[in-house]
Amino acid sequence: MKQYILLAALAFNFHASADEAAVTTSDASREAYAQPVSALSEVDRARFFKGRGLVRQIWVIPPSENREIAGLGPLYNRISCIACHAGNGRGFSPATANEPMRSMLVRLSIPGADAHGGPKPHPAYGGQLNENGVPGVPGEGRAEVRYTEQAVTLNGGEQVNLRKPSLTFVDLAYGPFPSDMLTSPRIAPPIFGLGLLEAVPESSILALAEAPKPAGIKGRVNRVWDVVQQITVLGRFGWKANMPNLRQQIVGAFVGDMGVTSPLFPDENCTALQTACLKSPSAGKPELNAEQMDATEFYHLALAAPRQRNTDNAEVQRGVVLFRQAQCAVCHVPELKTGDFAKFPILSQQNIHPYTDLLLHDMGDALADLRPDYLANGREWRTPPLWGIGLAQKIEPRAGFLHDGRARTLLEAVLWHDGEGAVSAQAVKRMPAPDRQALFEFLESL
Amino acid sequence: MKPRLWIAFAFLLLLSQLGAAAEKVVVLTSYPQEVVTQFEAAFEQAYPQYRLEVLWRQSRDAMSYLHQPHSPVDVYWTPAQRNFAVLAKEGMFRKLDIDLTGLPKKIGGFQISDPDGFYVASETAGYGMAYHPGALQQLGLPVPSDWKALASPAYNGHVVLPIPSKVGYAPMLVDTLLQGYGWEQGWSVLSQVAANASLADAGATFISDDVGSGRVAVGATIDFFAVSAIANGKPLRFTYPEKVGYSPAHVAIFHEATHIDGAKAFTSFVLSEQGQKLLFHADIRKLPVRPAVYADKPDGYFDPFAAAQRASYNYDMASGLARQELVGAVFDTLIMRHHDALKTMWVALHSAEQKAPNDPNLQEARRHANWLPITAAQANDATLQQIFISRDGIKRDGSAEKLEQQWDAEVVRNYAQATQLAEAVLGGKP
Repeated sequence: MKQYILLAALAFNFHASADEAAVTTSDASREAYAQPVSALSEVDRARFFKGRGLVRQIWVIPPSENREIAGLGPLYNRISCIACHAGNGRGFSPATANEPMRSMLVRLSIPGADAHGGPKPHPAYGGQLNENGVPGVPGEGRAEVRYTEQAVTLNGGEQVNLRKPSLTFVDLAYGPFPSDMLTSPRIAPPIFGLGLLEAVPESSILALAEAPKPAGIKGRVNRVWDVVQQITVLGRFGWKANMPNLRQQIVGAFVGDMGVTSPLFPDENCTALQTACLKSPSAGKPELNAEQMDATEFYHLALAAPRQRNTDNAEVQRGVVLFRQAQCAVCHVPELKTGDFAKFPILSQQNIHPYTDLLLHDMGDALADLRPDYLANGREWRTPPLWGIGLAQKIEPRAGFLHDGRARTLLEAVLWHDGEGAVSAQAVKRMPAPDRQALFEFLESL
Repeated sequence: MKPRLWIAFAFLLLLSQLGAAAEKVVVLTSYPQEVVTQFEAAFEQAYPQYRLEVLWRQSRDAMSYLHQPHSPVDVYWTPAQRNFAVLAKEGMFRKLDIDLTGLPKKIGGFQISDPDGFYVASETAGYGMAYHPGALQQLGLPVPSDWKALASPAYNGHVVLPIPSKVGYAPMLVDTLLQGYGWEQGWSVLSQVAANASLADAGATFISDDVGSGRVAVGATIDFFAVSAIANGKPLRFTYPEKVGYSPAHVAIFHEATHIDGAKAFTSFVLSEQGQKLLFHADIRKLPVRPAVYADKPDGYFDPFAAAQRASYNYDMASGLARQELVGAVFDTLIMRHHDALKTMWVALHSAEQKAPNDPNLQEARRHANWLPITAAQANDATLQQIFISRDGIKRDGSAEKLEQQWDAEVVRNYAQATQLAEAVLGGKP
């Protein structure tokens, strides 16, 4: 019971403290996700902007005279980080089958696990469908998204149409998919505030996992492979908490999404069966050098999280209460505290409001991808942080919600909650319309 | 696998690749992602039968790439006007047989499209001054109305100026100023502005970062960096000088293009009303080259065609492009390599001129301060230009460095003399 009271108390505590102001931003413009934490030294400011340059850079197919920005491919999804993370924000799913995945990708695997307990890559296609290849290397194929619509009626008679996506794979260049291929579409998540999440002590996350929770809600940690330490550690980043730390998350995306190798992932993203890919030149070994990798990581570490807005608004304040009453705050934990963070001490000992517990939760059949990822089963997803979510569609008008971007609005996203989230979805459905409006006023203020 | 299955698999593989290739349009560009994203999405929506494949290379790298045999590129679409001029001269482009109605080849006296029709302007950008209203107000400085305003000692320490040999858009900025004011007066203005300024190289920060944060009050820059930042919420403003210089981007189709229909479709789309209006997007903010679309421009958007009717001058684009490296070398000599001496000199000279405006020694000091290593005629000399051109990987030979050493010695001597004369009038250092 004490823990419930603690969670409830946290849900009310949403005003930025003086400390928090140093690591959050009041910028609510379309640049809101691109602001550094305050008080950067001149040296750190230079590192931040260098990292920003690399994140904004469109990468060049080797060979190139511009060695420092060469390395795209041989296989890739998009040509820059911000092609998917526009304005450092979230991506979206295609509206029609004909539209390419512009800020989304499909993870692939076959049943079983790799040597470290992670997904087992397909022998020809690997762990992710790369739709594009450099000249002379066939792209792997395309994923087409189609939707079936279903209507949900809310208390008061409002009808909401939810769209359920299904995938079809076409133009497969390396042979047909096996019947048991596991696929999981994922939109690009926002990339701000990640340093603060990395600074949350593991003990805090474990405590959240162990704390008793109401309404059948559980929550557990993922355990994933750390390529530097060569051990299994707690996972905290990615849609399934399948990445151990920010650095591995970033350079994993560099090689997986753009084919840019790095000191952590020095090999090109070709499988043994992709001969043209294997013969294609690299820009260097690795292509993203250690200094560039450090700058890119630092940029991510130093990106501030947007501060909540309109906190004096009565409807927003009422929405906070409703958020708690609907049990949303049990998983979307409003406040966490960072620990001592030697990598970037500015982030140490900060009370932050990310609205996540960084834990895996069973979200039911409707959201299941049926593709295990380390300990995460096919129904489990990590609670995504909600900070900054009210600005998502200001920054990218087509920004989608949930792992596959199926939800076009926050209301749709809530209504898709099932499994451990069903209690919240039901509560929102039952709410009188003015209460629902207040709840979403609060979410829009984040 | 059995042989028959292998054959079937290979056939399917071939079919799938042929299918994908038939829909492709390969475009080479150096545009930032924000521009690529908007055009890619809108083009593929308007022409769902084509799929855009974007290859990205900076100007010089692009030239090496395009000169390789069997280039896969169909369309060149980028702000790199000298590349277009060179490639057109080499016969790499096919004449554009698409509808170009409503697309003037000039903005006032500024030639923006190829008179021979091998490449055409797809957008342009203008040069001007980004400023932070709060910072200016705090300093008690007016909004600068022209480049000359930034030469005033009042702006000392509050300006940022890009170095043309290091910042991609800056050569045209400097040259439009030199052609606008004339060679001697232009360098004098530049020199005095630079004395007030910190110099920006090709580092990771943009001038809009420095001005937007209020670290610097005014920055000389190309418009879209600042205007896009403004549209996205940065607290800065942008103003154009009376005579605006432009840097057009172009589009052209290669002779060896393998996807001709798609290439034409993309080129037509870029130049269409729909394509031109995409330039108004907050993340882009370039200037359309189709005057008709300005009827739907966002509030306050700059219209270069209207501005050219108010004030224009005949900018010689061919001369500007030809002398780009030479002008950059002169800037490096007069300003970049001797920036501290330059600042000291102009502070002393301006102080002395304020104290004793009619002192005859100050005319002599001005003469030294405005010393130039080459005349306007020499700047347009093809032989001298060639010494400073290092195109296609050919390194400068020693003659450029030898000249620069001679110029350096003269600059040191002239700046020292100007400073001494000014300090003599002041009776010491200011």
